[in-house]
Amino acid sequence: MMDLLKRITRRQLVLLLLIGGAVMASLIFVYHNQSFYQQPIAKVVESTIISEQEVVDSQGNQDVIYQQQLLAELMNGADKGALIELVNEFAGSYVYHPEFQVGDQLFVTIDQVNDTERLTGGIIDVKRDHYLLMMALLFAFVLSAVGRRQGILAVISLIINAVLMSLGLNVYIQSANIDLLVIMGVVVLIMTIVSLLLISGFKHQTYAAIVATLLGTFLLLVITYAVLKLTNEQGLRFEEMEFLTRPPQAIFMAGVLVGALGAVMDIAVTISSALFSLYDKNYAIADQDLKASGRVIGQDIMGTMTNILFFAYVSGTIPTLLLYFMNGAPLGFTLSMNLSLELTRALAGGIGIVLTIPISLYTTLFFINRKRARL
Amino acid sequence: MNVLVILTLLLLVLMTAIGGKKGVRSFVALFVNFIVLLITVLIMTDPNANPIILTLLACIVISSNTLFFINSINIKTKIAFVATILTTVILLLFIQFITEQSMVQGFGDEEIEGLTIFSFYLGLDFVKVAASVVIMSTIGAVADIAISTSSPMFEFYRHNPSISRRDLFLAGMKIGRDLLASSANTLFFAFFGGYLALLVRFKDLSYSWGQMVNAKVFSAEMITIFCAGVGVAVIIPVTALLSTLYLTTKKE
Repeated sequence: MMDLLKRITRRQLVLLLLIGGAVMASLIFVYHNQSFYQQPIAKVVESTIISEQEVVDSQGNQDVIYQQQLLAELMNGADKGALIELVNEFAGSYVYHPEFQVGDQLFVTIDQVNDTERLTGGIIDVKRDHYLLMMALLFAFVLSAVGRRQGILAVISLIINAVLMSLGLNVYIQSANIDLLVIMGVVVLIMTIVSLLLISGFKHQTYAAIVATLLGTFLLLVITYAVLKLTNEQGLRFEEMEFLTRPPQAIFMAGVLVGALGAVMDIAVTISSALFSLYDKNYAIADQDLKASGRVIGQDIMGTMTNILFFAYVSGTIPTLLLYFMNGAPLGFTLSMNLSLELTRALAGGIGIVLTIPISLYTTLFFINRKRARL
Repeated sequence: MNVLVILTLLLLVLMTAIGGKKGVRSFVALFVNFIVLLITVLIMTDPNANPIILTLLACIVISSNTLFFINSINIKTKIAFVATILTTVILLLFIQFITEQSMVQGFGDEEIEGLTIFSFYLGLDFVKVAASVVIMSTIGAVADIAISTSSPMFEFYRHNPSISRRDLFLAGMKIGRDLLASSANTLFFAFFGGYLALLVRFKDLSYSWGQMVNAKVFSAEMITIFCAGVGVAVIIPVTALLSTLYLTTKKE
């Protein structure tokens, strides 16, 4: 420990203190930010279960519905400090409302005050911002502790890409007549360049990876679009897409584009840096040898990459699948309703991944030969 | 013709053309994994089955399928397998705790809208289901890092057989670290792509910053992203440690 302390320079110490200070400040803020919310927030101080009722639905599913009487203290607004009575109904499966514990903070509405002394009201939602912040801090801590520089880069790239996406969507919302796909195309271009430069730095292999990624995602988009048009989108259940406020096709295609981008970048970087490191070891290496190595590497990673994408997409549908099955919906209907879009995403992404292997192979060869010609 | 059929055939043709035998094996593995996922969900509909245990069993089948079938059964893939399962167990417990605390299980207001015809009182613990979703979405990436770390470590040891335990572990950490940023990125973008409709909705209905971060669906998805990041990070020291222990104890 003393050894470690001695090795830390003054500048690192200042940096550590600054980060520590920011972490502390954000934690203190998020636990005391109630007054920044318009909506009343109340903290549960007492909870009693007042009734429980067993229910059986038409499919024979058994559950218990509980009623919970809560006494909570208002934490902001004009009635700050006053006690409020709330009632929460939740199921033993916690499928919609959770069971609240003493100390939980809730967004509430306050009923018109009668003559009675105690306020009453309704529960709207749970205050979750402090959990989200703690999770974000833990994420940043684990990634930088394990990955050091690489981990910090991953965190930074997540933040930058999230901001870029959000800005792109702002443009889309504010301008009525630009296609989402066009906007996301521009965002993807910027995200690719920024992420790859962040991950592997200003090197020839990075430029090769950028070109390969852009070609790969473009080709993936063209193929998916062509298949969708040729088949008239047969088999896709756009009506089942969640959270819709806009025409689903545009959002879906943009999602395909963005979703596959990370995997395509991963493939492009892996192949280009492997080939460049072979070239750096032996400047006279033949194109044939490079191609053969590139192909072997490509074969090794194609299986796992398609797998990663598949699970990332399809797992999210598990709760809805369960809901359908337990309500007695038939297998085929449930699958086509819930999985058609996710599977299309995964398959399109897989096609992009596989195509990017030869694309990055030849792009990297081109860059290597250009470098050779200059020597 | 159906979109899914054409895309599936296209993927099969491309994987065969570019990946050869290994490409075909990868395609079969993908198909088998899909079946495993479906069977897991079907068994999960029985309220007596614990979703956490089921997820763990599914992860054992899925990762052995990914590791042993696409690659082959050897000591490198065995170590990657043990590391994957160990990490999965650690993550499952942690994620269940987080889900319970932040109460993001089940369905949010935005989702309930389209599902009103269903009965929601299913007697199934949705906290555990939520933990299962997070684990299943990361299992592919975790298994990938495990094999990509353990395999070069064996090569490294073969070239430097006299290396000390500490140095071998540090070499493994370095190998894993180089994979971390791009694997994390792969997952981030996959999730972003999936959440696009939700983000558009939040912007369209002009949710305030406060409404957004406290909404159940948004929190659930951010927590998934964070847990996925933690998962691909935690697998690195676990794999490096197991490989080091195996290689150096064998020597003595």
